[in-house]
Amino acid sequence: MSEQKDPKPSPGAGDGWRVLSYLIGGVLVYGGIGFGLDRLLGTQFLVLVGIVLGAGLTILMLHFRYGSRS
Amino acid sequence: MTAGVPTEFIAPGPQSFNTPPIIDGVDWFTKPVLVAALSVVVIVWFFWGASRKAAIVPTKLQFAGELGYNFVRNSIARDAIGSQDHMKYVPYLCGLFYFILLNNVAASIPLFQFPTFSHIGWAYVAAVISWVIYNAVGIKKHGLWGYFKHQTMPAGVPLWLMPLMIPIEFISNIVVRPVSLSLRLFANMFAGHILLLVFVLGGEYMVFESGKIFLGGVGIITFIMGIAIAGLELFVQCIQAYIFVVLTAQYIGSAIADDH
Repeated sequence: MSEQKDPKPSPGAGDGWRVLSYLIGGVLVYGGIGFGLDRLLGTQFLVLVGIVLGAGLTILMLHFRYGSRS
Repeated sequence: MTAGVPTEFIAPGPQSFNTPPIIDGVDWFTKPVLVAALSVVVIVWFFWGASRKAAIVPTKLQFAGELGYNFVRNSIARDAIGSQDHMKYVPYLCGLFYFILLNNVAASIPLFQFPTFSHIGWAYVAAVISWVIYNAVGIKKHGLWGYFKHQTMPAGVPLWLMPLMIPIEFISNIVVRPVSLSLRLFANMFAGHILLLVFVLGGEYMVFESGKIFLGGVGIITFIMGIAIAGLELFVQCIQAYIFVVLTAQYIGSAIADDH
């Protein structure tokens, strides 16, 4: 897919856990932003939008980072 | 629920982890402290004894010591950090692995039977030490700003996506990692211990105290399940020690990697 400029980190036993920590991180950041905006604006849906956005972005990042290693 | 039953069953809960002080009046000296201290003594005795009279033809103790040391050095440190830099971190990783392993396995040793790391404070401290170490070696290697860039810019992501990815990378590398390290270890030890308590105490109650034939039969099955859980726990204890140290090694490896 994309040009591989950086050498990929070598696969190891901990990669799965790193992927999990990315997923948690993504949901945490954008879900948190959504939660904050909800509090600020008095709405209720932005926390959900944030969680989905965060999960989606994380999957996208994982695709760029690990996806084309094969 | 317990109508007609002679004594009431008190389910084990978080209060089961409040072990009383071993010596009256010395409040801080509880079972986890004793187990942790003993584990240090055993580890020091073992590795010191194993390496004291190092010989070409090893004694049994020396052989066991080399086996234990080589496992951490080759299968954990070298694989995760790389053959160039791993030697510097082997002492820490080795000590960490055997400390966690012994404290976990103590949960399955009669008389001790308490996993130190089921108290989250212990897990926090172990994770924070690892966190400080991998951040420190990363900063030493790349400089403060360089390391910061290294930990916030994910490799292989196109530039237009960077602003959206930087917070994810930062939070997952700096915040989620130490938290997940400690929570994983703590939660596994806590859940395993409480599961054992439920099965063994529940089985014991049903067989001896419920006073009902039917419950007695169920209690025997519960007891057998408890034994199976104990076997599973032994496995989990070893795996958790391994995972904690493998991840610490991976984080050190990624902190000093040159992938940017």
